[in-house]
Amino acid sequence: MTDLTHIRNFAIVAHIDHGKSTLADRLMEHAGAVSKRELKAQMLDDMDLEREMGITIKANRCSMKYKFEGEEYLLNLLDTPGHVDFHYEVSRALTACEGVLLLVDAAQGVQAQTVANAYLAVEAATEIIPVINKIDLPGAHPEDCALELEHVLGIPADEAIFTSAKTGQGIDELFAAIIKRMPPPAPDPEDKLRALVYDAKNDVHRGVITHVRLFGGTMKRGDKMRFVAAGSERIVTEVGKFTPKPGAVDSLSAGDVGYVLASIKTIADVNIGDTITLAHNPTTRPLPGYQAPQQMVFCDFFPGPGTETPDLRDAFEKLWLNDSSFTYETTSSDALGIGFRCGFLGLLHMKIIQERLEREGDVNIVQTAPTVTYEVELKDGTVMHIESPSELPDLSVVADIREPICKASVIVPAAYIGDVLKISLERRGTHSKTEYLSPTRVMLNFEFPLGEIIYDYYDRLKSATKGYGTADYDVTGFRSDNLVKLDILVNAMPVDALSVIVHRDKAANRGRRLIQRLKKEISRHQFEIPLQAAIGGKIIARETIAAMRKDVTAKCYGGDISRKRKLLEKQKEGKKRMKQVGMVAIPQGAFMSILDPGD
Amino acid sequence: MNKEISDHNLGLYLHWPFCESKCGYCDFYSVPLKGRDVAPLLDAFAIDLRSRVAECDKQIDTIFWGGGTPTTLEDDNLSIALGHIQNATSNHPIREFTIEANPATVDERKAATLVDLGVTRVSLGAQSFHQNELSALERLHTPRDVPEAIRIIRAAGITHYNIDLIFGIGGQTLASWQESLARAVELEPPHLACYGLTYEHGTSLTKQLKLGHIEACDEQLEADMFLACKDYLERCGYEQYELSNYAKPGHQCLHNLIYWKNGSYQAVGPSAAGCLGNIRFKNVSDINEYIRLINSNGHAIADREIIGETERALEGLMMRMRLIDGLDLADFLRCTGINLIENCRNAIARLTDSELIVCDESKLRMTRRGLLMADTVIRELASELDPPSGMSLNVVASRPIGDA
Ligand SMILES: Nc1nc2c(ncn2[C@@H]2O[C@H](COP(=O)(O)OP(=O)(O)O)[C@@H](O)[C@H]2O)c(=O)[nH]1
Ligand code: SF4
Repeated sequence: MTDLTHIRNFAIVAHIDHGKSTLADRLMEHAGAVSKRELKAQMLDDMDLEREMGITIKANRCSMKYKFEGEEYLLNLLDTPGHVDFHYEVSRALTACEGVLLLVDAAQGVQAQTVANAYLAVEAATEIIPVINKIDLPGAHPEDCALELEHVLGIPADEAIFTSAKTGQGIDELFAAIIKRMPPPAPDPEDKLRALVYDAKNDVHRGVITHVRLFGGTMKRGDKMRFVAAGSERIVTEVGKFTPKPGAVDSLSAGDVGYVLASIKTIADVNIGDTITLAHNPTTRPLPGYQAPQQMVFCDFFPGPGTETPDLRDAFEKLWLNDSSFTYETTSSDALGIGFRCGFLGLLHMKIIQERLEREGDVNIVQTAPTVTYEVELKDGTVMHIESPSELPDLSVVADIREPICKASVIVPAAYIGDVLKISLERRGTHSKTEYLSPTRVMLNFEFPLGEIIYDYYDRLKSATKGYGTADYDVTGFRSDNLVKLDILVNAMPVDALSVIVHRDKAANRGRRLIQRLKKEISRHQFEIPLQAAIGGKIIARETIAAMRKDVTAKCYGGDISRKRKLLEKQKEGKKRMKQVGMVAIPQGAFMSILDPGD
Repeated sequence: MNKEISDHNLGLYLHWPFCESKCGYCDFYSVPLKGRDVAPLLDAFAIDLRSRVAECDKQIDTIFWGGGTPTTLEDDNLSIALGHIQNATSNHPIREFTIEANPATVDERKAATLVDLGVTRVSLGAQSFHQNELSALERLHTPRDVPEAIRIIRAAGITHYNIDLIFGIGGQTLASWQESLARAVELEPPHLACYGLTYEHGTSLTKQLKLGHIEACDEQLEADMFLACKDYLERCGYEQYELSNYAKPGHQCLHNLIYWKNGSYQAVGPSAAGCLGNIRFKNVSDINEYIRLINSNGHAIADREIIGETERALEGLMMRMRLIDGLDLADFLRCTGINLIENCRNAIARLTDSELIVCDESKLRMTRRGLLMADTVIRELASELDPPSGMSLNVVASRPIGDA
């Protein structure tokens, strides 16, 4: 057992691609936790999908021993996700740490998520060590980066450590800083078990692996433990540490980071943020729990062709065992049938969950366009939250519709300020502040209705700034505005999944553009298809998809069969993402067309 | 494991890659002849032919020699080629031997040669009886060449002949189409093929269309032409038996029926495509490369594909539905293990509701309206076609390539 003064619990936070995974590998390698060969694959990103999307989704971790000035230290590294959608997961991990390494790419400088992550670290009251990485790059300007940090975050530039996670330069200095500057875990006078649940994963063979950080007491195999908030009790079957592979240990004690097994079947039985204590000697001071994840983006998943509702439900249940960061509940649409309304932390999160469902659950999904939560006040004073425009009550009883507002910070080269202002104002953004990080780079602060930016704001920002712009947002509350519901009718049938809540000033324009988009997305049928946009029953725009008069391949002989069949297979594949509404087949793209705010 | 969809024996397709000149709409593999020496190709053709036929474990009963235009061969070379074919297939009970010809490429001598050396059927590319339309299609011959060619063919004793016509040509009117049809019928062909003009990728017409130099036919007009053709030919005693094919009773093209019933056919010549059981193959589409490969390897196969049960079912659906007689449900079940009525329940209901198909216990058939929308019908059915689970295993178990 290591005494507390020789333990350091820390995490690395960074903007995506600034080198977090590489640095974690290098730290483990220097500490001898893993060999170079084992590191061949960046082992901290262990899910296929994470690798494909180039991001870390689930926190991974490693406990390593490191000799410093003749003494051995136990360093517990907690890895955190690096994307803007995962604020919540980052905050979970940070609460279990005493320090963070705030990593900045020496060639890229401070980016939006660097700032957002730093704020989270400040909130969690952890010690921040700025690390300027990739100093081996020819374009590196580490001193400027350190100055940028000082500008925006007030972290003295001379506190920054310069490293190259690639060459290993600066790594020893970094270890020294971790040990010297980060505080050890505080001793707990009470000595009763207080373990914070900061993550949980499901393992097919071993059940739920609960990840814990002990703030007080000890726990070992055979203990009867209690989840304080849930009130449930379990017998501990194993405690262990990640080195980085999970391995059993005799016991975990205050200051340790590790895991607990207790024959738990589903993740839903473990509440992230809960405190574990001992049943016979419980703590009276449970740790302050984490905030529950705040799902702000919602959309419906409907079964595509070849998939039935129960298949989709199975897929959800299976995934939910491993990941409880999203919500789902049965919904039914007049046009699309029975499906599921899902809540996500953000758009990337939505995409990841959809892909995992399809891949791991072997289902086809037709997805409706994401929307945000609206707050609706009725005339009788009741306030409700709706997650889909179709839930909006009849306007005669509605007193007020309020939309979620977020604060966003955008970091761009100064030359692009004009372009960024343009795309931001188009999305009903209000510009509140401009702050120069350096003579050439600025941070612009905006307030946006969340619904205006959830879809393509990042893409637009990237293309408007030649890839240099980064953004991060945080939802701050709801605000009232002149909002109306726009309904879309396809072949005289209202398609609820296509309705949107929009600002009245933009409604007519939006409705017109929306059905023009639909006209392009929906292919011709053997009959004419009217498309209409309406507000409160009043038609404000109309288009018609002409009927197809003839659709027949003239020649099909021996030499054509293979090619024609392949074409048919392709069309069949495309059909999987279509939804039949009455007699009309609506492709997936049509459901997304409501997101296009136009130029 | 390899269930036969067709009850037919085996077809033999031969491809001759030369034409007088390239037509504006054509995407077959053919190149202008321009005085080329055809001897090396004829030799390679003969080798290919012998080894392909020797490989057949079934009786060949139909031959189709197309291209290209085989009748661009001079009479002596035509005799040599036909001699090769006759020799190679002398042990096979050939019931139908079709050759493709263009007006102004057949004379009395060649016609006599054809008859002498076993050809029983001639398919003549007339396309239109209007000079402006023939010019638009970039065809070389004139309307007058057509009756002359038919006269020669008939004089030589060939009673089994087909006339190809094209509708939907830019600038064509319903009246001019009807006139072409009437002129063709006057020539008493027992078989007619009437194709809607298709703008195939890479053709001269497609390029002109993209550049805006020509205009495509109005879709409604094309639909009217299709139905006018069907009605007129039916009044004249022809039966539409495939989307584009019409025949007097007893004169359907046996060889083409093999394609539509997913039967087997051998293939000889550059770019010729064959299918033997569950193996589909295609020869290289390049004359020099073809000659080189035949001389060095004995075959010129460039692509080979094993058709799994799933693909086979899809092809079966796609081809069978082209036949006006429809798709025999019991037969389909026997061949593919798929009960279509169950499998495509929703699509069938939708298509029946829209009056595009009719369905009784035994068959799935297009309605008059359905014929015009055949691709939609096939696409809708195909999108729901789902082979029973476990089928994919059969693909793994199919015979190795080359073991046909
Ligand atoms: N030249 C150089 N490249 C680095 C360094 N650290 C990371 N990289 C590269 O930067 C890219 C992103 O690194 P990664 O660790 O995946 O970033 P993460 O998204 O923050 O985890 C990878 O291609 C790394 O190889 C460094 O110190 N020097
Ligand atoms: S004659 Fe036939 S094969 Fe030759 S180019 Fe014209 S259409 Fe094509």
